[in-house]
Amino acid sequence: MTDRDNTSPPRNPTAGQGPGQPARQGAEKSIEQSPQPRLSVRDLGFSYGSERFRLSGVSFDVAPGELVGLLGANGSGKSTIVRLVMRLMRAHQGGIIVDGKPSLKWHMGDYARRVAYVPQESRAVFAFTALETVLMGRSPHTGMLGFESEDDIAAARGALQTVDAEIFADTLLEELSGGERQRVILARALAQQANLLVLDEPAAFLDIRHQYDLYRLLRDLSHLQGRSCLCVSHDLNVAAAYCDKLLLMHAGRLLAQGTPAEVLTSDLIRTAYDIEADVVLSPTGRPTVLPRVE
Amino acid sequence: MRLTRQRYVITLIVCALVLILVSAFGLLMGPVDPLPLLREGRWERLRQIADFRLEGVVTASLVGASLAVSGAAFQALLRNPLAEPFILGISGGASLGVILALLFLPAQLVELQLSIGPVPVFLSSLSLAGFLMALLTIALVFAIAQRRGRVDPYRLILTGVIVNAFYAAAIMLVSALSGDKLRNEIIFYLMGGIGTAAGRWSELAVATVLVFIGIAIFMGQAKGFNLMAFGESAATSMGLNVNRHRLLALVVASLLAGLSVSLAGPIGFVGLIVPHILRMIFGPDHRLLIPVSVFGGAIFLVLAHSLLQIIPPEIGPLPVGVVTALCGVPFFILLMRRSGGSVGGSDR
Repeated sequence: MTDRDNTSPPRNPTAGQGPGQPARQGAEKSIEQSPQPRLSVRDLGFSYGSERFRLSGVSFDVAPGELVGLLGANGSGKSTIVRLVMRLMRAHQGGIIVDGKPSLKWHMGDYARRVAYVPQESRAVFAFTALETVLMGRSPHTGMLGFESEDDIAAARGALQTVDAEIFADTLLEELSGGERQRVILARALAQQANLLVLDEPAAFLDIRHQYDLYRLLRDLSHLQGRSCLCVSHDLNVAAAYCDKLLLMHAGRLLAQGTPAEVLTSDLIRTAYDIEADVVLSPTGRPTVLPRVE
Repeated sequence: MRLTRQRYVITLIVCALVLILVSAFGLLMGPVDPLPLLREGRWERLRQIADFRLEGVVTASLVGASLAVSGAAFQALLRNPLAEPFILGISGGASLGVILALLFLPAQLVELQLSIGPVPVFLSSLSLAGFLMALLTIALVFAIAQRRGRVDPYRLILTGVIVNAFYAAAIMLVSALSGDKLRNEIIFYLMGGIGTAAGRWSELAVATVLVFIGIAIFMGQAKGFNLMAFGESAATSMGLNVNRHRLLALVVASLLAGLSVSLAGPIGFVGLIVPHILRMIFGPDHRLLIPVSVFGGAIFLVLAHSLLQIIPPEIGPLPVGVVTALCGVPFFILLMRRSGGSVGGSDR
């Protein structure tokens, strides 16, 4: 079944698709918030053609106003999910529904107005300034021919301000550090004014202050503006501190999904990452993972 | 500097004025001084000279514009500042087509008379052979490089390089087996020269229409070129249909390159250097870069062609490719050093 066929997602998805894992309840908040998820992934399957890796049976929802962290070891399938959601590849099985419609049925421009993407690393082959880069995020709104209006420029400058990068507006992207550049790319996604942000390790090049700033921003965008964020992360503690829901991938399958406290347990971390770790719960119920140092 | 409508319009008007001035300079340059003819009232001779020089200027404009704009497109599409219009083997294919036509076509078939509706059109069979071989090469390179309907840029470049190497070997073989006279013709053709299309207004009219269609398509794709600078994933996420955009642009760029080779032989450096120089001056935004490349390429080649006309005829006709390299390379190095080594963008 392709996602073209899957037009009516189940209302109460089951979780914990990993073999031998109990189903885990999660995303109660999102189900309460809206009857229609902004992103609904159903029984997703994909293979690169070799037996080494196969994504299968992945199902989850991202509701309006929800910040969801996508976790897992290298090669567990996180980036494959992101690429499938961004329509960079086609699923071999299952479906991806965005705002109630199969992702592949959306027109390119309409999809770009709904889903914005922040890649792991972004380099331009030519020397664009930060403002020019962010203005490209306005493309789905201005069409492929037109010039940007004053509103577009205001939106771009506003996005730069939101990520604390307005001072770089006239600086060439290639002259910025990795972290500064990543904030500009995030501003480009914000200027796209999409309701669903898909971020592939957006904090990879950020210092600790900007990592926390970024996640705080994502949480505010979700909780205050009602946007939804699906964010791949390798930092379990930052994700645990800010995400409403976590998805834990292992060997191409969804091992667990639920609240941070439900997902980040010693047992699941051992299975997913093959390490021993202690998990401490804070008074707010957020877990902190402490790997055991031998 | 951000691109505004005002900056766009003013820049293009200035470029158009410079092209007009350079074209006027080109019309005045030549071994024959028109003033004595004017005084003597030899109007027919004057008309012939003006006609011949105008053909040269128009050919140089079309070829320069095609090479520069297709170079800018290739550099954006392949995300490679070293890409140039002949990267997919177009020059080799078109050159082999022209050489085979020189070798095998009877003399009476060198100029063909066709009819487009009621309009008689004269076409050089050499140019036609070059253009058809360019088309065949494009089809061949795409057929080899595509995989499950998707064209990967790196496979495409590799295929182009290999196909070009094959054509180069074929041209060398044909040259080695030819007589002295034909071998000289082949060598001169391979140097590239504006004069090869002179005397064929019908052919230039057809070429003008094709070049304008190509430019219009590129101008429509300019914003897509900007998005492609950030990679396929980013461009797709901002609403660009990357496969369709890339396929259309590669075909159009290859057609323009093939057209220029069929008109004037393989003229190097224009498609590589002109977009870089213009990017340093005007910035990397393709909405401006594409149209200024059209003007810049035309201005550069008309100027190079005009400078060649100053050389006395007894020295012999020099290929315009020599001038484009001799003038273009030092200017490019100068600009690159002034811009702090950045060849990908503007001096800001």
